[in-house]
Amino acid sequence: MTILLVICITVIFIVGVYLMLGRELKGIAMGVFLFSHAANLGILAMSGQPVLVRSQGESLPKGAPILGNAEMLVDPLPQALILTSIVISFAVSAFLLTLLVVTHRRTDTLEVRALSKADRPAPVIFG
Amino acid sequence: MNIPLIHVLLMAIFAPAAFGALTLCLPRRAITARVLIALFGLLTSVGALLMVGVQPDAVPTLSFVPSMHMDLVFNPDQLGVFFALLVAGVGALIVIYARGYFGPDEDSLYRFLPTLGLFASAMLGIVLSDNMLGMFLFWELTSVSSFLLIGWNREDRHALLLAIQAFVVTGLGGLSLLGGILLMGHATDAWTFRELLHVFSQGTPPNPGLVTWACLMIFIGCATKSAQWPFHFWLPGAMAAPTPVSAYLHSATMVKAGVYLVARLFPIIAAWLVYWGPTLVIFGALTMLLGGYLAVRSAGLKKIFAYTTVSQLGLLMCMYGLGAFHGGGHGEHGAGDPLIFPVTQILNHALYKAPLFIIAGAIIHICGKTELPQLKGLWKTHRILAIIALAAGYALAGGPMTLSFTMKEAFFYQIEHAAHAEVWIWMVGGMAVATAICNVMILVRMATTFFAAPEPTTHDAHDEHHAHEHGLWAAGIWWPAAAIVLWQFVGGFAPGLFETIFGGVETNVGSWEHLSYGSVWHAISHPGVPLFMSLTAIGLGVVLGLSPLFRRPQADFHNELFPGYFRGMQYFGHVIFSRFQSGSLRQYFLCVLGALLLGLAGACIMEPDLLRMPEVAPLGSALLGLKLASFLLTGLICATALMMPFTERRIVRVLMLGACGFSVTGMYLLYQAPDLALTQLMCEIIGVVLFLLVLRLLPEESEKAEKHYVPKLPRAAFALLVGVSIGWIVLQAGSVADQRNIEIAKGIVSESEHHAAAEAAMIPVASGHGHGEELRHGERVTPSDYASLGQWFEAHSYDGTVMTEGRGGGGTNIVNVILVDFRGYDTLGEITVLAITVMGILSLLSSVPPTRIRGVDPTVCYVGAQPQLRSILLHTAMRLVLPLALVFAAYIFFKGHNQPGGGFIAGLIASVGLAVYRMTEGFDALKRIVPIRPGHLAATGLSLALGTGLLVPMLLMLTGAVDDAAFLRSWHGYIPLFGGAEYHLTTVMFFDLGVFLCVVGASMGIINRLEEELE
Repeated sequence: MTILLVICITVIFIVGVYLMLGRELKGIAMGVFLFSHAANLGILAMSGQPVLVRSQGESLPKGAPILGNAEMLVDPLPQALILTSIVISFAVSAFLLTLLVVTHRRTDTLEVRALSKADRPAPVIFG
Repeated sequence: MNIPLIHVLLMAIFAPAAFGALTLCLPRRAITARVLIALFGLLTSVGALLMVGVQPDAVPTLSFVPSMHMDLVFNPDQLGVFFALLVAGVGALIVIYARGYFGPDEDSLYRFLPTLGLFASAMLGIVLSDNMLGMFLFWELTSVSSFLLIGWNREDRHALLLAIQAFVVTGLGGLSLLGGILLMGHATDAWTFRELLHVFSQGTPPNPGLVTWACLMIFIGCATKSAQWPFHFWLPGAMAAPTPVSAYLHSATMVKAGVYLVARLFPIIAAWLVYWGPTLVIFGALTMLLGGYLAVRSAGLKKIFAYTTVSQLGLLMCMYGLGAFHGGGHGEHGAGDPLIFPVTQILNHALYKAPLFIIAGAIIHICGKTELPQLKGLWKTHRILAIIALAAGYALAGGPMTLSFTMKEAFFYQIEHAAHAEVWIWMVGGMAVATAICNVMILVRMATTFFAAPEPTTHDAHDEHHAHEHGLWAAGIWWPAAAIVLWQFVGGFAPGLFETIFGGVETNVGSWEHLSYGSVWHAISHPGVPLFMSLTAIGLGVVLGLSPLFRRPQADFHNELFPGYFRGMQYFGHVIFSRFQSGSLRQYFLCVLGALLLGLAGACIMEPDLLRMPEVAPLGSALLGLKLASFLLTGLICATALMMPFTERRIVRVLMLGACGFSVTGMYLLYQAPDLALTQLMCEIIGVVLFLLVLRLLPEESEKAEKHYVPKLPRAAFALLVGVSIGWIVLQAGSVADQRNIEIAKGIVSESEHHAAAEAAMIPVASGHGHGEELRHGERVTPSDYASLGQWFEAHSYDGTVMTEGRGGGGTNIVNVILVDFRGYDTLGEITVLAITVMGILSLLSSVPPTRIRGVDPTVCYVGAQPQLRSILLHTAMRLVLPLALVFAAYIFFKGHNQPGGGFIAGLIASVGLAVYRMTEGFDALKRIVPIRPGHLAATGLSLALGTGLLVPMLLMLTGAVDDAAFLRSWHGYIPLFGGAEYHLTTVMFFDLGVFLCVVGASMGIINRLEEELE
């Protein structure tokens, strides 16, 4: 099952990087969103697969991390970390989207190449 | 009264800063009260110092950072207490002077008094510290506070630049000093001056090479602070400060810090390090002569005195250097320590330089003239100022019957003495005489200018004088100078009296036992080389001062050093900046990912095992459903993600993004993470809604064909490389957890052992009142006793153990307990991020006016606003959905501690309901339901969470439930209800409520603001 998770993470990362190398900020924002999904899944992979397979091939599913839920529980710590991460990435995504709107209003473009030429800081030499 | 010494010393050091800060609390108009309070702070310091007296054997210590050898150890010995009294005493007079100087200017005094207090405290800290690192702290504090004082006039760009110059030069010196102290401490393991003295008194210290480097670095620190050539240029530059600052910094305090340190180190290293003496002598003598010469070639009053300060600092350094030629073990003459009144020399300088600066400020302030040649006829117009200025100038020139004369004699005597050992010292003697000539010339010029006939234009300035205020406070602009310079003449006429008062500060008096040996009587009755040198200086000085020679002002070419350095740094900084900060997003991104790939490659080379395929746990045979679901979800995630680059339509992309997120939600469910699944689901809903909203605010895709920023193939190849590398690392990391599963399955680790922790924490019977009591006697269990941190949390989620002081989270939902209890700090930080994000979004959007967007029809913006778009179905559904969502949120919230749920999830569910309601019905309808503005709601939530974290522990401590009030500590217990029923209450519920409110407020704030943009 870890393998499947790893495949998901790999694919999401590939698409994310591909989008982030694009020419428009909207695509880049989508790439960032995908990144946060993949990162969360990556943390989840650390808790190991939620099934214990005994030597006889008999499988014992682990329970959700709630006391008294099952004989064996999955690791709660990655979940707590991911929960925090989801909410934070939600807030950051919202900020990013607002930034898109504001950028467009200020510069009238979302093309990365046009933006990189827009605001070059001038050298500040005084004395 | 038996107050510990350390408390008195701390009071002495920090009183000026504390009382200075106190003046900020008073109204701006209360000038007199503020001056009095600041004065009281400095006088408290003086009083405390007098109470302490000289106690060289005391080791008052305040534990600060013992692990870094940085305890605040103080040393109230002669040198320290003398310097401290000088700092505090002159400081008190400067406060009075500042009142006269700034006059009724409220704002200046408002800023000046606290800053001066801070500076005085820092300076007191330097001179009283015994621990070298502690001293360094105060040393840097003087740099910072003097920066604030020098750059006083914030509108004056030039003054700011000079303040930066002073700060950078002394700051770099400070770094060198820190390096020196660390090297010294590392080499000798001595971190206080007294320990160091002990080490060096044993003979050659350990690691002599390192110690030599340390001494060099410390010397650079001293040289920058005390303005020695070639770093002297910052001191005249610092004259841009208001005169009270100059008078304080350059007479008694800041610049003396370097001299102080040299004086402190003199008995320690001068005897051992052969180069120490000559280095000090050479640099000191150069500085002395250069300062004197430049003083003569300057016209501005303050400039002249600044250069004489440089000159005098050079003299002091030189004097401490000369002492090394005989001191300690390798003196050929063995005539004892020839250092003569080393501390009185410093005092002497303060006693004429402070009055000079004070009176220069007074003259500039009253006459409005800054240059000496403009001051013709001062004697006629402002006689008091002229008298004091000439008296102080007389002392500067080292005229007979002043303390200064005695000290000059002593210095000449010392040179003569040292020259017996090394012939080249006579050159230093020549330089000293030349410097003395310069000082006499300055006096002569002052006198001739003051006594000259006034220029006819002066009555303008005279009128201006009358415009100034009068009275006792206004007179404060001149009388502190008189009060200080008086001591010069006490020292000259009655050396005995002077010695009685100040003589106690000298510990290492050399050949001359009494001050009167240097007095003019003794000099005349015992003529010798020193008297000859003095007479030469006075004679030549008078002649040259009257002559028209050396009158043309000349700028110091060193002044170009720093601006040149500054410009060079900025130039190179810009070159590097424009290379790396090109503004190209692609370049940044490639840099970041490239660094990541390089790091991974490095890790693989170091750890070749990383390249091996890890063993992953098999899925077993029985769980067909799980298998099927996981394959399906993997396919969904990959398919939706891969669809995104292949579609051009942005709406499809966003929907694919949403679909991918929902599939991830399913993956969370498979991994037994119901909390995550709920949160992700809600976030995904709001996220897609947000993205769609934002797309409406942005233009349609331009129709021209996709021109890829980076060509498609390399782009895909790079993405593939990064993705596969990260995936590989995740596989390696994830297999560690799998490995453990395999071990458990194979019986290598017994399951019972694995379960021990969890079983210990199984829910007790419902009547468990004194839960945790029996565990209090148990053995101490630390997280490292568990196989994983997760198991530790598992064991402590409900009930406490010794480790958590009998305190458990009181909840069965471990994830929620971790969030709101064990790692409450994280959660607090997280909701703070949420609140900040909302603020950022609101202010960002209000910073730009909405513009008409190409390609968006403004009439179809808002679902509910246009009657033709009203959907009866949607409206009717919303009436049902919103109450259901809110009730569900409440349910999830209350169950959250024990079942999947909690504040976050409940908040998100409520937000989804409210958001959809907002979109269909508009803001006014929403306001009827939630009358608070979203931003305020978020702030309320944040305050509630913070307040719970603060108040609950305090209440717990007051009721005696716990011993210490740790931030965010929670309590849970059983509240009896009627009929024998009980309610399990935990205080984290209030914290969770804060989280809930913050989440609702934040997400509603974001959505509402973006909706408003559309309308």
